[in-house]
Amino acid sequence: MKKSMERAIGTVPRPVLVLLAAALALQIGWQALQPKPSARAEALGAPASPAVLRTLALGEPIALAQLLTLYLQAFDNQPGVSIPFRELDYARVTTWLEAILALDAVGQYPLMMASQIYSQVPDEAKQRHMCAFVRLQFDRDPNRRWRWLAHCAIMAKHRLHDGRLALSYAEAISREARLASNWARQMRIFILEDLGEREAATVLLGGLLASGEVTDPKELHFLTERLKQLKGDGKSSLPSKTRQSNE
Amino acid sequence: MDSRIATIARYTLLEAVRTRLPALLLVTLLALLAASFFIEAISVAEGARLQAGFYAASMRLACVFIAGLYVLVSVTREFDDKGLDVLLALDLPRSHLVLGKLAGFLAIGALIAVAAALPLALLAAPQAMLQWAASLALELAVIVALALFCIITFNQLTPAASFLLGFYLLARSLTAIRLMSANPVSGGEELSHQVIHFLVETLALVMPSFDAWTQTAWLVNEPASWSALSQLAGLSALYVALLAAATMFDLYRKNF
Repeated sequence: MKKSMERAIGTVPRPVLVLLAAALALQIGWQALQPKPSARAEALGAPASPAVLRTLALGEPIALAQLLTLYLQAFDNQPGVSIPFRELDYARVTTWLEAILALDAVGQYPLMMASQIYSQVPDEAKQRHMCAFVRLQFDRDPNRRWRWLAHCAIMAKHRLHDGRLALSYAEAISREARLASNWARQMRIFILEDLGEREAATVLLGGLLASGEVTDPKELHFLTERLKQLKGDGKSSLPSKTRQSNE
Repeated sequence: MDSRIATIARYTLLEAVRTRLPALLLVTLLALLAASFFIEAISVAEGARLQAGFYAASMRLACVFIAGLYVLVSVTREFDDKGLDVLLALDLPRSHLVLGKLAGFLAIGALIAVAAALPLALLAAPQAMLQWAASLALELAVIVALALFCIITFNQLTPAASFLLGFYLLARSLTAIRLMSANPVSGGEELSHQVIHFLVETLALVMPSFDAWTQTAWLVNEPASWSALSQLAGLSALYVALLAAATMFDLYRKNF
């Protein structure tokens, strides 16, 4: 008959059981009484250089980039800090984001954090800082990163009220991101129109329609109507409302 | 201490001295010290800080690796050579065997910590060095107790070493995981996140957060407070007692 691998709990001396139960209870009690961990915004240190990080990655730069992203994100999720992003050193945050992108250039997470999270603070200088970071990174891979710059263009127009900045971003998308969606590549036309440069907008829109890039019938119809309005008298006195109604 | 426990502890310590453990430790120490001098030489600024930081962080990991693996291999050898069977045949309670082995391994851990801290006498302030050494001894105490528990429970080297490694990595990153889990950017209300958050918090109740132990910042920034160190000592003692009790529990239930 096969011998059982384990003996009954009754064979364990009572003092050992008592010690085990007491130590476990004490451990749980002690840990439960400890305050919850909290991070401080000023505790964010500088990242190592990309060369050092590549060495530390041990051949897994993407995995390290993902870990670093989560680490950086942990500094944003700070219990007890009401507006954590505002307290972060943005120059240092962009250094982290650059380091992460250097490890994983295809990853979109750092640019999403820059354009959608860090740029949401009520601080214009920090919003512009993040948009400038996104603009710089866009140049390195326009076809993958255009959507984040498009978000910055919208933010520049509606939140920063800087039409020229929005236009420069929209023009960069139109010029460099050949694989961007049509709405993003057409954005500069509407920004030009809002800036009062109807002539330039008309030329661009006419050129776009003539190029044959737009093939969707509904989109063609909308853009053609828009071109007619631009060319007509008293054109687009309320451009935003017209656009919304068409959308 | 019971004389039988003391005898087992003494022979455990003697075994470590007579094997190549001291030589291995010395070679590791010299290699990492040499590497730290190299880093200091190629650095443009804060050379001493970089040197102390590199040596402390890498030596800490090396000590954990050496101490943990030594305990696993030593007990595995006893299993294989039937030395444990001979001991169990004697008039010796199993708890004495665990306590004797644990005492020997704790002494080995303390000696490793002292040896590792010696070069820091040249690289850091005396108080910071003492605190670092004491904290490393406490950390190694938990590691050797955990290694003993793992090898008694799993019987085999591979699962025991894997568990030890996984436990250590998790314990070093537990605070960061708790921070990330506490306030996610999105999806905090989802059931999956709630379950994960609950699991992480439960783990935090039964695991030490090793990121608080043996910090390089004590050496290169400012020393820790002695009260924080005494709290670490209390936590370590408690965790070693818990692991010792769990090891005894498992050994008593084993059939040989």
